[in-house]
Amino acid sequence: MKPAAFEYSRPDTLSDAIRLLAEADGSAAPICGGQSLLVLMGLRLTMIERLVDISRLPELGEIRDDGRDVFIGASTTHAAIEDGLIPDPSAGLMPRIAGKIAYRAIRNLGTIGGSVALADPAADWPACLIALDAEVSIAGPDGQRQASVADFVTGAYETILAPAEIVLGFHIPRCASMRWGTSKVSRKSGAFADSMAVFVEADDGAAPRAVLAGTSSHACLLPGVGRYASEHRTLDKVELRAVILQDLTDVAPDADDYQRRCHVATVSRAMAEARQS
Amino acid sequence: MNAIVLNVNGRSASCNVEQRDSLLEVLREHLDLTGTHVGCEHGACGACTVSMDGVAVRSCVVLAVMSDGRRIETIEGTRSDRVMNVIRRHFHEKHAVQCGFCTPGMLMMARDIICRHPEPSETLIREQLSGQICRCTGYANIVTAIRSAAEEMRQA
Amino acid sequence: MSHHDEPDGWIGRSLLRKEDNRHLLGASTFVGDIRMPGMQDIAFVRSGSAHARVVDIEKPAGLEQRVYTLADLGPIWSLDSGPEMASFRSVPYPPLASDRVRFVGQTVAACMAPTRAEAEDIAQQVVLNVNELPVVIDTVDSLKPGTGTLFDGWTDNAFVHATIAGGDIASVAGAPVQLRRQFKMNRQSVAPLETRGIVAWWDYRLDELVVYISNQGPHVLRHGLAQTLGLPEHKLRVIAPDVGGGFGSKNRLMPEDITVAAIAMKCGHPVRWIEDRREHLISGVQAREHYYDLTLYAERNGRILGLKGELFVDAGAYSLWPSGPFMESSMAARNLPGPYRIEHLHVETHTVATNKAPLGPYRGVARPGACFAIERAIDELAHELGMDPVELRRINLVRAVDMPFETIGGLSLDTGDYPVALEAVVEMLDIPAVRARQARGEKDGRRIGIGFAVYTEQSGHGTIEWTKRKSRVVPGYESATVRMLPDGTVHIAVGILNHGQGLETTLAQVAAHELGIDPSQISIRHGDTGTTPFGFGTFASRSMVFSGGAVAKASALLADKVRRIGAHLLQAPLKAVTISAGAAHAGRASVPIGEIARVANIRPEMLPPDVSPGLEATATYEPPDSGGVYSYGVHATVIAVDPETGVVELLQYAVAEDCGTMINPMIVDGQIMGGVAQGIGTALYEESRYDESGEPLATTFGDYVMPCAPEIPSFQIKHFVTSARNTLHGIKGMGEGGAIAPPAAIANALADAFRDIGAAFNETPLTPRRVSDAVARAQGDAA
Repeated sequence: MKPAAFEYSRPDTLSDAIRLLAEADGSAAPICGGQSLLVLMGLRLTMIERLVDISRLPELGEIRDDGRDVFIGASTTHAAIEDGLIPDPSAGLMPRIAGKIAYRAIRNLGTIGGSVALADPAADWPACLIALDAEVSIAGPDGQRQASVADFVTGAYETILAPAEIVLGFHIPRCASMRWGTSKVSRKSGAFADSMAVFVEADDGAAPRAVLAGTSSHACLLPGVGRYASEHRTLDKVELRAVILQDLTDVAPDADDYQRRCHVATVSRAMAEARQS
Repeated sequence: MNAIVLNVNGRSASCNVEQRDSLLEVLREHLDLTGTHVGCEHGACGACTVSMDGVAVRSCVVLAVMSDGRRIETIEGTRSDRVMNVIRRHFHEKHAVQCGFCTPGMLMMARDIICRHPEPSETLIREQLSGQICRCTGYANIVTAIRSAAEEMRQA
Repeated sequence: MSHHDEPDGWIGRSLLRKEDNRHLLGASTFVGDIRMPGMQDIAFVRSGSAHARVVDIEKPAGLEQRVYTLADLGPIWSLDSGPEMASFRSVPYPPLASDRVRFVGQTVAACMAPTRAEAEDIAQQVVLNVNELPVVIDTVDSLKPGTGTLFDGWTDNAFVHATIAGGDIASVAGAPVQLRRQFKMNRQSVAPLETRGIVAWWDYRLDELVVYISNQGPHVLRHGLAQTLGLPEHKLRVIAPDVGGGFGSKNRLMPEDITVAAIAMKCGHPVRWIEDRREHLISGVQAREHYYDLTLYAERNGRILGLKGELFVDAGAYSLWPSGPFMESSMAARNLPGPYRIEHLHVETHTVATNKAPLGPYRGVARPGACFAIERAIDELAHELGMDPVELRRINLVRAVDMPFETIGGLSLDTGDYPVALEAVVEMLDIPAVRARQARGEKDGRRIGIGFAVYTEQSGHGTIEWTKRKSRVVPGYESATVRMLPDGTVHIAVGILNHGQGLETTLAQVAAHELGIDPSQISIRHGDTGTTPFGFGTFASRSMVFSGGAVAKASALLADKVRRIGAHLLQAPLKAVTISAGAAHAGRASVPIGEIARVANIRPEMLPPDVSPGLEATATYEPPDSGGVYSYGVHATVIAVDPETGVVELLQYAVAEDCGTMINPMIVDGQIMGGVAQGIGTALYEESRYDESGEPLATTFGDYVMPCAPEIPSFQIKHFVTSARNTLHGIKGMGEGGAIAPPAAIANALADAFRDIGAAFNETPLTPRRVSDAVARAQGDAA
């Protein structure tokens, strides 16, 4: 399980990194924590010919809090978020999510940017950031652009990221008062989720957001569930189940019976947790 | 090949490494530090856990070239570490070792846990040990050893 | 054997382990830690097809010398494997496939380079051209008429069909209660944390091939490897250094072993192959995969009369040397009646070949499946009869007054009180309190379940049992050489192989008891065919019984000589001399054993005239009754299960067991806890799945789920001690028992949790998906 040979560069600047990626024309990949990428490379499951090390670029390590939103640089590790080393705009949701990703030693290197950019269907961060209505900052040959995380992930391991683009970080809106819940089903502690749901409800009148991950595609908002939550203070188990199943016909049309049961369970429980807090 | 300099167990080590060499590979095959073990090479078993700049990492999923300039501590570097020697003694007294293959990684993680959580509950230790596979002991004695080592550290 | 009057209390003491220090320092030597100048790495080219004819193997241009195919290895003699039965179809398992591949992962070529990464680069360039053949994957369907066979000339896909029977099953055909169920224990990997590995070179000074290998039985391996290579055994030295777990998986002659050794004989420099985890999961020893279709015959009062059924064991594509896969089938069938007073048994067994990795032994061998089947069936019967499952077991369990008791499966249970162990777990878990909690219901909607399972563990079996199994190698004894050095310290060389069991400590305790010295004065040496007496290795829960016996016997011979010299030095009559606490004593006079050792070794002029110099003794040992002794116990668990997602949490786990006298209770507990954790893996997590084309689906620890600390509960353990009648100190082997009962106990707890809806939990591992599906099926509710 040794990777095939590849080239490696560690550019000093963001623009050099983008240039190197652009020159490679799709055969290069940025690497930061490497906790997923190096596993895939060890199994020789990628065709990457060059790794561009972006782990030391200062832009990706920035943390900014302007009171309205918090910017978390892409190279921020899961562990830094878990340990509360950065400002938390999420009333504890992000530390909770971070602490349940894989294992501590992986969390020490794995990054939030890498997790979102890889877009594993079962990954935790896309779901969490969509629920928080976060935006992603992207740098590329033509400058920077922003997109909502919900628009950023488009499929299993698919995003809107162009080959020479790099995720810089995430803008996460602060909310004066919010409630959240999250629930995950996996084969064992630290394993990728078979189903994972995040539910966020702000007190500022914004629509509640329920997000599901662990489908065969990407983390998705559940619009019917969000509507149901805004219209019902008390959750009726049977009604809610029907609403979730209805949303699943869009976001997880290929889910089998077991997967649907898990999705119903995680979404319901995430909502129940939010409502009881 | 890339020339890198690591600080390994307090000493500077210059190595010529292939781009694809993991930190684990370099520690074992270039520096002959074979106390760090190879269990899965995909970050899932914890046998290769070492400390990098003071935090526990899986050396099988760290590229050596990316760790250029970092401070690495392996099990070999912990022989006079006070905390580790307390943990070691509790592992011995609580029979937390059987075949010994997971032991170095388990110890590195145990110290990491105790340093972050001076008063760890059984549940916390079990959660924090997730991803450190031991095939022999059934974990119970490892958990007990970490708890009692932490207790001794608190009283020291 | 103890000739001294005041034993120093080493037997039964929880002495801390002598072997811990090197592991705790990270200073142990596993095979991957061996460094040799000029060593090169091997990577294998493995079949990507589950079943195909090999058309040709194309070596990459310019790298031909670095790629070895079967033809390049030189003459390789294939060994017959499996039982010595005319009905068993023995087939050669080539080190490298040349004409046909029969499972994904089978070795085809070996590539050599200075580093493993470069060797993998070469392997990636080797082109294997094949013509695909139909694959056989499903265990039971493999015998369907019209299914193609894995081997030419076979009339069906069975290595062997055999009937295991006792009593007269026809006589209970009219029993008032008949319960038929199907059970499946799926295939899994053994997955010790250290994978397999081998480093080999030709040692010109000694004119021998040196093979370092992670292995449980180097002497037997040498015998097999030497024959395969056509090398006389005196020119082959096999050394197992520190071994990072085996559990049965490192006790067979594997194709990689032969290939690497053969290359080392040709290439002139040391070669190394360290199995990676993917290789281990697809081509290392796999285990279990039993399918049972059983019918229990019973009276309405719960008395079980007979057991009839069919058993399929999926042996995969080849039979491994020496024992082969029939051992799994016959043991499973013979263990099916468990420790129950059942009088009629009839089991048809089919040991079938499929396009999967070969099956081999794994801790518990056969019995986890048999225990799962019978203990689940008993719970189902209790449910059918409206009885408490504990009560049904009370009615049928063998009792202390029945001992010794020969089960209808032909197992001679020797000593013990099984019902007492059953009552013990009921008390340990406070079952009435758990039932009350169960009735109240959990706030989070989970259900509580309680499950029990009884097991027996045959151990310490020798010549009688292994010849009954038609084994090609009969592990009927162990040997030990005890040597006292001039300062009175001791080296003991043994033929077993310590790889986590603490035998460097426990064998020293046994010797210390005989020699009257402290265990710290004794070093145990094992694992090197060049320096240890012949032995069979460590497996089948045999090492303490056999090697402990051999060490005690040789130590007693030596102690006798120490006493004789001591008597001479003390000028006392021999019968007045005892040894203990490091000295020989006669009345108030004493002489240190170190002094006796000095005299014996380097001051022969001080010896009594009729005593030869030197202090060394070798002995072999087999218990007088080599049919085996039986450890036993009862496991009970309390679980909480989420009915929707199927996620199971083990809240409590209790073990009441009896393994006879314990040499070191701390180590016994460690073996139990480790075994139970592995059994939990079998029960809930671990599965080597294949798709219908024979592609293995569990190739990393991402897909092959290993339980970690959060998945394993803490344990309650209670010991009963009924000494064995005819082993040294009355000990019984106990290394495997922990792994036998958990699948049964946990599945029974699940069935208990959903008793009201009758959900069926008859297939392991009981993953969240299987559990959730079973509940939904019982509720008639799809999503």
